[in-house]
Amino acid sequence: MTTTAQPALFQSGTEELISGSEAIAIACALADVDVITAYPIRPYDTVMQYVAKLKADGAFDCDFIVAESEHSQFEIVKHASAVGARTFCGSSGVGWFYAFEAITVTAGLRMPVVAMVGNRALDDPGAFGVEHNDAMAVRDLGWMLYWVATAQEALDAALLAYRVAEDPSVFLPMALSCDGSFLTHSQAIVNVPAAQQVQQYLPPYDRGRLQLHPDNPITVAPQVNEDWLMEIRRQADEAMRRSVGVIKEAYAELNEVFPSSSFQDQPSPFIEEYETEDADIVIVGMGTLALPVRVAIRRLREQGRKIGFLRVKFFRPFATEEIREALSRCKAVCVVDRDYSFGSPSYGGVLFNDLRSALYPLESRPHILNFIAGLGGREVHVNDVNEMVDITQKAVDTGKIDQETTWIGVRE
Amino acid sequence: MTTVQELPQIRGVKNIPLVEGFTSGHRTCQGCESALVMRLMIKAAGPRTIVLGSTGCMYVANTTYYSTPWVVPWMHTQLGSSGSAATGTAAGLASMMRKGKMKEEPINVIAFCGDGGGVDMGLSAISAALQHDEYNLLILCYDNESYANTDIQVSGASPWGANSTFSPPGKEHRIMNKRWKKNMAPMLATGHPDCRYVATACGSYGLDFNNKIRRALTIGGPTFIHSIDPCPKGWDYDPKFSHELGMLAIETGLWVQYEIIDGELILNGPSRAIARGIRKRKPIEDYLLRQGRFAHLTPEDIKYFQERVDESWEEWWLPGVIPLKKNEEED
Amino acid sequence: MATVAVEVVYRGIFQKTLARNIVRSIVFAARKEGKIGTAFGRYGDSPERNGIPAKQFAIVADDAEELEENLARYEASEVDVTINVDDTMCKGIESWAWYGLQPINELTKPGGTLIVTSRQEADDLVQDMHQKDSPYDLSIIRSTVSFSGLWVYKDDHTDVRILGNLCRVCPQLVSLDSMLEAIREQFDNETKVASARRAYDLANVRPVEPGEGNPETPFKFELPGWKEMEEGLVIKAIDEGTGFRGGEEGYQPVRNSVFKKFSTRSMRPIVNFETCIKCTLCWLQCPDTCFDVTPDGLYDANMESCCGCGVCEAVCPVPDCVTMINEQHFDDNSSQYEAWQADADGYKQWMTNLIDVQKQESRTHGFHHVGGYAEEIAESAQPGGDN
Repeated sequence: MTTTAQPALFQSGTEELISGSEAIAIACALADVDVITAYPIRPYDTVMQYVAKLKADGAFDCDFIVAESEHSQFEIVKHASAVGARTFCGSSGVGWFYAFEAITVTAGLRMPVVAMVGNRALDDPGAFGVEHNDAMAVRDLGWMLYWVATAQEALDAALLAYRVAEDPSVFLPMALSCDGSFLTHSQAIVNVPAAQQVQQYLPPYDRGRLQLHPDNPITVAPQVNEDWLMEIRRQADEAMRRSVGVIKEAYAELNEVFPSSSFQDQPSPFIEEYETEDADIVIVGMGTLALPVRVAIRRLREQGRKIGFLRVKFFRPFATEEIREALSRCKAVCVVDRDYSFGSPSYGGVLFNDLRSALYPLESRPHILNFIAGLGGREVHVNDVNEMVDITQKAVDTGKIDQETTWIGVRE
Repeated sequence: MTTVQELPQIRGVKNIPLVEGFTSGHRTCQGCESALVMRLMIKAAGPRTIVLGSTGCMYVANTTYYSTPWVVPWMHTQLGSSGSAATGTAAGLASMMRKGKMKEEPINVIAFCGDGGGVDMGLSAISAALQHDEYNLLILCYDNESYANTDIQVSGASPWGANSTFSPPGKEHRIMNKRWKKNMAPMLATGHPDCRYVATACGSYGLDFNNKIRRALTIGGPTFIHSIDPCPKGWDYDPKFSHELGMLAIETGLWVQYEIIDGELILNGPSRAIARGIRKRKPIEDYLLRQGRFAHLTPEDIKYFQERVDESWEEWWLPGVIPLKKNEEED
Repeated sequence: MATVAVEVVYRGIFQKTLARNIVRSIVFAARKEGKIGTAFGRYGDSPERNGIPAKQFAIVADDAEELEENLARYEASEVDVTINVDDTMCKGIESWAWYGLQPINELTKPGGTLIVTSRQEADDLVQDMHQKDSPYDLSIIRSTVSFSGLWVYKDDHTDVRILGNLCRVCPQLVSLDSMLEAIREQFDNETKVASARRAYDLANVRPVEPGEGNPETPFKFELPGWKEMEEGLVIKAIDEGTGFRGGEEGYQPVRNSVFKKFSTRSMRPIVNFETCIKCTLCWLQCPDTCFDVTPDGLYDANMESCCGCGVCEAVCPVPDCVTMINEQHFDDNSSQYEAWQADADGYKQWMTNLIDVQKQESRTHGFHHVGGYAEEIAESAQPGGDN
């Protein structure tokens, strides 16, 4: 299903017809990643199939280890990262959950592992389609969490991820969330930068004083008690805060070095705004949902309705100020969650509740409505978007919200 | 496969290196045989070694934040991750050295786990690690026969009948742990054809222990050592007997000392003498009655225990090692 | 307020059941009088390690609200009675969960009582204990220190004797009658009840004045803030060792500077450097890397790091070359090798005396064989009659 990459691919920039997964695999090769671990699960493993092929064809020199479980997958890269190797791995759905212990400690240890989550519904029942709950589960743990919308963005964000995660003032892992199927199994034209450009952008990973090596004898992660843990958590909190500045800088430079990056027309690394300037209603969502939403907005705009879209790219760190600023002007916010949080406030989704919490201090708060949509890979159509907008419009018109959370496209 | 260090076999206790890679200040129990195993391990391996320690006593008691006993680089790994930790560390080093990102030199990689982390939870990752013959690594399972760090709970390596907080003898059920100890080393040796070295060991035999570590680190590829570590806390005995109980486990034939090098089984120490009939096995009660964890056993229980040990020596195809019996008709 | 707090300082595992029996009985006895109480071990000591000092507490109050007031802090800031069940801990205790040495009497209230099981004289114990600026009482229960293990308890009545003594020195806690009733209910053993009553009758105290005792300041450790701590859970490894005393020959490891472990020790090895055959076994088999290797190939046990397990004595092939001696006989952690070098004859005499004294004393650390505890109890004075 894919073109075979040759070493020449990386010597000069090319244009490829590839999936988001394959774009990330190529980003790994461009970044000269040292250790990659794989374990099969749909849909993320398309990235590993491509890594394997690149390696087999001699286009990518890395230690490619097929682990015996997701837990081992993540443990192996965590330890490779500790000795100073650049690493990549990933998973989907319950595979990501199988690795969860390793995923938490990777952040706790401050290892700049970059991972792809091919978003997938959690078992049971087994389903291959996208839901965001898998990646969402790490939102509190010290992982930076980026939601990708296009194959080009997958490549760009992967390079950004290494640059930010490996910054010594950050040293936090980063997950690239890619909607299953839409990004992992469909191909688009992607501009691949030249290896030399990437080298210019990405300095080598230098773990410095924290590197586990006989030349730097240290003890890493001894047991602590209550005398220490709050200080250690505070350090991670500060690292996440520092990442904001690092992301801004790395993002700006990425746009300078790669003229073909998907970020060129997006001033903020954290959010993408589409027609929000004068919008009465702003739809908020993440990932590939952007596509039907944009189409719907264009049609609604033709009808004279002032609708905009704000796409959250970085869910962690959450761009509180930017999002407040962007949403303070509108009358209502329509949050689309491709996830659920059973029993949460308003029985809403995760994005909705975080967003509502971020907007709470605003003096004049817009109405905020939540829509649960597109679970298990069900497509969100333009009509669904229209329905959400209509319900939101009603709240604007009447000044009251009948129902805070609405499931869209579910059979009654 | 990257090159290995030169670590010649040590001839005689007088030639054991003085240099310590694991010093005092760990918070283990008095007479902790596993702490001794750590020390013997790194003594044999030397300073150019990275040690990965999975959760267990040798993590919690050994390395409490801000005070470490380790001179060599050491890092914690998760309970079931000794195999993955060794693989990841070795892979990271190998990859960077190959690509010129790190000075090329053989660095020993040792991951240790307790019986809970190795015999139970980590079995799958250890098995995977032993398939990667491109990485030089050693996995050392220090087996104190229970989850000793968490308050002595029964593990897959606990002996039949042993008292533990998950197998307390009660009014209705005297024997709560009815599982026979897993036969870990032969399982790994027979299941992983490219693993060139599997051994059993005991800290009571310091020089032998050192040399097994060295053989494991120099033969090339992934290797495994299973060490039996008397535990004064969980086995319940006066700590000064740690050394003696290790010897008794072997002299009674319950624990068997051997190396499997490239598929060849070499029994050593008292186990070899027992196998050759030069030495008689001591009765198992000499071992059981010395430990509080067996204080509730009846004479019938002890008889059963003895019969199981006898069977392993008298009926197994490879006596004391592999629980297969020969089909006489096929001879 | 009628809240009474009692702490039991004990050696991990060896005396865990003993400490538990004491704190639970206190609460049961309090219930007999309509009071309410709680018994708990300090979580930071868990999981306990053999020999490493640990604590359990009993807090008794008139009613639930009053009890709650006193539980706002998990570990009591002061106690009416400190019970120390191994006299060698009078020198101070270093728990495995914190940093530094804590005086045994640190939590003992002004005017409170410190109960110790010991065969030492009061004046000797007072010398070991760190000075306080307030007075307190010392009450000694004359007995061999009781050690057993996790599964088999050595029931030598130490628990109930302490409880009987406690009722006498701290009458505001519970009456003797309530305590005896609680003991009877829990242990269903009249000789234990008799032992408790006898201990009550024999109890006496020796007042300790402010400023009496060991003037040393115990070593402490200041916890750094998050900005000072290295990121990534990283701490520096221990430095590489050197030759003996920093010289060219022999070997001396660098040791952990913040956790010493010596307060875990209730016995220490003394070495006869003249009969040593340099077989290496004590050095090789020591789990705590205690032995410095001298230039002449002898082994000098470092007393800052020795926790007194006794393995060195057990593996030594030469009679009386390495001998475990009750920690009460020592005042410092100085080097035996250096003492021997300075004055070989004096050292020999000192060592021989100690070995002779030790041979008069039985001191076991847990389970030896099935039935062993019964033999030990039979050998010592009859239960309860030892004061």
